[in-house]
Amino acid sequence: MSANKIGLIIRREYFTRVRKKSFIIMSLLGPLIMAGVLTFAMWTSIEESDDQKILVIDDNYPFFEKLDGSDKLSYSIMDISLPKGEALLEVSDYTALLYLPENILQSKSGQLIFKKQPSIKVQRQIEETVQQYLEISKLKEFDITEGDYNRLKAPFNLLTFQFKGAGAEAEETNMLPAIVGLVFGILIYFFIFMYSVQVMRGVIEEKTNRIIEVMISSVKPFQLMMGKIIGVGAVGLTQFALWILLTLVLALGGQFLVLGDKYDAAQVKTPMTDMVQQQVDQEQSLNLTRLSQKDNLFNKIRRINFPVMIAVFIFYFLGGYLLYSALMAAVGSAVDNDTDTQQFIFPITFPLLLAYILSFNVFENPSSDMAIWLSIIPLTSPVIMMIRVAIGIESADMWQVYLSMALLVGSFIGAVWMSGKIYRVGILMYGKKPSLKEIFKWLKY
Amino acid sequence: MNYILEGKNINKHYGNFQVLKEINIAIPEGQIFGLLGPNGAGKTTLIRTLTQITAPDSGEILFKGLPLKSFKSSEFGYLPEERGLYRKMKVGEQALYLCQIKGLDKKDAYAKLKPWFEKLEMESWWNKKVEELSKGMQQKLQFAITVAHNPKLLILDEPFSGFDPVNTETIKNHILELKNEGTTIVFSTHNMASVEELCQNITLVNRGENILSGSVSDIRKSFSKSLFQIKFKGSKVAFANALGFQFEIDEIIEQSDHTSALVLAHQGAGSKELLSSLIQHVEVISFNEKLPSMNDIFIDLVGRSQSDSIKQ
Repeated sequence: MSANKIGLIIRREYFTRVRKKSFIIMSLLGPLIMAGVLTFAMWTSIEESDDQKILVIDDNYPFFEKLDGSDKLSYSIMDISLPKGEALLEVSDYTALLYLPENILQSKSGQLIFKKQPSIKVQRQIEETVQQYLEISKLKEFDITEGDYNRLKAPFNLLTFQFKGAGAEAEETNMLPAIVGLVFGILIYFFIFMYSVQVMRGVIEEKTNRIIEVMISSVKPFQLMMGKIIGVGAVGLTQFALWILLTLVLALGGQFLVLGDKYDAAQVKTPMTDMVQQQVDQEQSLNLTRLSQKDNLFNKIRRINFPVMIAVFIFYFLGGYLLYSALMAAVGSAVDNDTDTQQFIFPITFPLLLAYILSFNVFENPSSDMAIWLSIIPLTSPVIMMIRVAIGIESADMWQVYLSMALLVGSFIGAVWMSGKIYRVGILMYGKKPSLKEIFKWLKY
Repeated sequence: MNYILEGKNINKHYGNFQVLKEINIAIPEGQIFGLLGPNGAGKTTLIRTLTQITAPDSGEILFKGLPLKSFKSSEFGYLPEERGLYRKMKVGEQALYLCQIKGLDKKDAYAKLKPWFEKLEMESWWNKKVEELSKGMQQKLQFAITVAHNPKLLILDEPFSGFDPVNTETIKNHILELKNEGTTIVFSTHNMASVEELCQNITLVNRGENILSGSVSDIRKSFSKSLFQIKFKGSKVAFANALGFQFEIDEIIEQSDHTSALVLAHQGAGSKELLSSLIQHVEVISFNEKLPSMNDIFIDLVGRSQSDSIKQ
């Protein structure tokens, strides 16, 4: 019977929120933004698909005798004025006009006037070509031969590998898992914050509406509190699931639109769709990257273990959410209106905020003492451990994960118990705002 | 007498403040029972302990003579004084939800709500949002939700607040109807006229103590100051002469065709002596003992204790 009642409360809390316009808008907007960012990242990472035919106007003609293009990018250098060049651009099939002014050696800048915006990569390529040409032309000033100049150049590439023991093949690391971890960590921060505040608002709403007394003549206060916490948590998970799903659909759609003919369908479908396929691809791409440096974003994304990431996210979101929302329910029960909550919200959410701020440090230095402690302490662990897990935790350090998880479970049980006691008294108290000391007294009522 | 709910030696503290002091209360089955008391007397806390919303520090609560251990929300219907609804929910959805919380399944809840929506002429509200209803409409809806699950014991705290006289009458009639169908009703109010009209027994709580319990008629008689209301025709002098030393005129008003007087009896003197003496001197049209109203008794008891506390 009582389980039935909790079920009813969960259902009400869940459906009234999921049906809200704000929930639907958030569910659609989140993935649109995420997919937008992803698509943009992919778009900038690939080559320009359109051929670029660039008209170059050199005011110092014939200073630039020849600019090296590529099969997608060609330059035609002309000795005409800028207005004439623009007129020519209009009637010809040139895609852009590169203007190199007379004082180019002093101003160190030129202009690119385009018909259709070329990609950042193309812009970079033009920049490099002109820069190299200027550098070589300057060599004469310093009396250096081109051969000496090329020998002077010392390109250096740092590839980093995780030590896996002598003899074992070291694993190449890259920044991407850390970035994804940071994104997930921040996502956890926002989810915990957003939904635990919703629990608090819900409690205050019931209190100010005065429905609370009707409710608790039918159900126990603890059932009402837990029903609300679970119901709102389910809304959070639903939102997360929708985000993942819609992001996937949009990202795949975006990828398809951007890449179109460049990648075949088999490759387009790979990210996250098929776990087994992913594993195989992962190993293949790992071997590939060790041999060649053509490690593009797709391969990197594919190497992240998303199922594990999502599982860890769900655990830490739920744990952190239960902990914080229980505390927030207690706050909501103790006050009569939103404005009175400020003094209590700040001390409670401070650790969460701290975790969020420090997450950037952890991102840079995931194995520092600070990172380890913050990933174990329950109030900060959801955000910090998420980042550490994404970057990768050594099997010797796995005890930290287990300890962190156990502490989180223990502390949310403790928080729920304590908040239940405060809630039971608080919801029937109206009038003056209680002090923290008074609230602690309620534990004994 | 069978009691549906009894509270024995109930104590309740909030911090250092003792809200309920050794309260004893017994609610007879099948009656309308008045729970009276000034603001802040502890009525709401008493109701909360009786309905198991909060646990007493000490004392015992019996439901039909047996200790109330498990939570029996389906047996109770409680309409709190400060009551509300989820404003964003639809009326029908909300009514179903609150009935289901009481333990009815959805079908049953609908079947039981429907006649109440008809009786109170609320059918057209079903798909409206609660926030679209006026305060009076919301009160009506709350009443319907409270009684729909056929509770054996109905606790109504100021049920008429927010109602116009027409709706007050409607709700009053429904309360009487429920009583006739066997529901026990605990009725908490400051409106003493409605207590006299509806309640058989009352308990008066002041500062956490039960200061008066019993049937309304017994209480009124015991608080009688031997005041008689007399209407007569004849001379006032003759009337005064008839009173002798035992009686005293409290008030006398001459009206167009008769005179009406309030007469106070001194100790020991009764209605028999007064009436037999009067008949010999004037023409008596009507004669009755004037009992104090519950309002007088309430003000007398509560007011006296308040002035005591001021003196202290």
